Amino acid sequence: MCASCGFPAAPGHWTDAGVADPAERLRNRFRRAQILKSVLRAYGLTAHDGGQVPGIQVATLSGSQAIARDLAEVWKVAEELGGRPIDPLDARFTGGGAK
Amino acid sequence: MAESRDGRIRLTVLGGYLGSGKTTWLRHQLHEGRFKDALVIVNEAAGTPVDDALLGGASALEVLAAGCACCEARGQLIALLRRIADDRSRIDSHARRLEHIVLETSGLAEPGAIVEAIRTDPVLVHHIVVSEIVLTVDALHALAELRGEPLGRRQIEVADRLIVTKTDEADQKAMKRLLATLHRLNPGAAISGAVKGSDVALSPFADAEPEPLPDIPADAEKGPVFPSRLTIGNSVDWAVLSVWLSALLHARGDDILRVKGVVRTPAGRLLLQAVRKVVQSPEVLPEQSEDGSRQDNQIVVIGRGYRADDLRRSLEYFARAGKA
Repeated sequence: MCASCGFPAAPGHWTDAGVADPAERLRNRFRRAQILKSVLRAYGLTAHDGGQVPGIQVATLSGSQAIARDLAEVWKVAEELGGRPIDPLDARFTGGGAK
Repeated sequence: MAESRDGRIRLTVLGGYLGSGKTTWLRHQLHEGRFKDALVIVNEAAGTPVDDALLGGASALEVLAAGCACCEARGQLIALLRRIADDRSRIDSHARRLEHIVLETSGLAEPGAIVEAIRTDPVLVHHIVVSEIVLTVDALHALAELRGEPLGRRQIEVADRLIVTKTDEADQKAMKRLLATLHRLNPGAAISGAVKGSDVALSPFADAEPEPLPDIPADAEKGPVFPSRLTIGNSVDWAVLSVWLSALLHARGDDILRVKGVVRTPAGRLLLQAVRKVVQSPEVLPEQSEDGSRQDNQIVVIGRGYRADDLRRSLEYFARAGKA
């Protein structure tokens, strides 16, 4: 937005916009990693964010791994590692098929 | 602005595809003092209005959130305009009264159909004259839309003025191609550029070739574009929402044309907006004490190629994953 007619924009990547202070930011990173881990399990992948260094680690169960800079990149990295597309509207997530 | 010579209210129709920058442009115009005494009518295809929260600069504002004004909510638009015309008729013509209306249409509206509805209404034709159709065109996404969306083309064809937005983010070569394409689609329209609502100069495009636009098979196989509303319940915190939405836009960004809504987070009321895969840095909206926050924690997703219910189920799945 224009600086005079808009409201201030949250700094950083949009996926970090909803957290206010450093402690919450860290908690949010752990929560995200937990959700990613659960979602990516269906694709034979896992996710990890130790909170120490920037980025989210995505790995296959056999040990190949890559770092995604932000949440938006996680899905790209996960598809490359897992070799198949990830779709949150897939039947496994919408209740139409096996989880 | 001067009143129309015949005493009728002048109507500016502001149209443009989903996420092309209509509200941003209008907000800046209001800030600059244009449309100063105008009544602004905001129409949104989804039942949840968001844009009205951003148009605090308007001297008067009406929201029409019952559906798109060119089709399902056409009757409501006509009724609203008739009421406005009727109220105005009760005021002495020498007194100060409403002279201008700006109608911001939904991104799915055909401005041509709205203008037609007003011009053919036996009452409104005596009270309202359409003075200009202004159309915002997204420099980043318009070429893709024009290639595949009949609606995008129809919107451009009826405009008097085309405002190409987000020109600072577009590649110059693609930009010239877009300008040449717009000129071919509507040679009579004035074309200008804007970044965040402010005017910017456009490069000459006389040497550029327009995009060859293919015939579009009758409204694509993926089905019609439709709005869905999602309520962000207590189980969906920012971690869940950001993981889910980033996944959704990654996988379905070509079909999810628009996401918008106000989400309450520990960092404040965030205005979440996406156009296809591009998510804007969320603006932090001021807290509102009255009923202004009634639409918080609802997001509108406009797209095609999925079932509305699947969005909700998928978000619930991600919320459960966060609890596990």
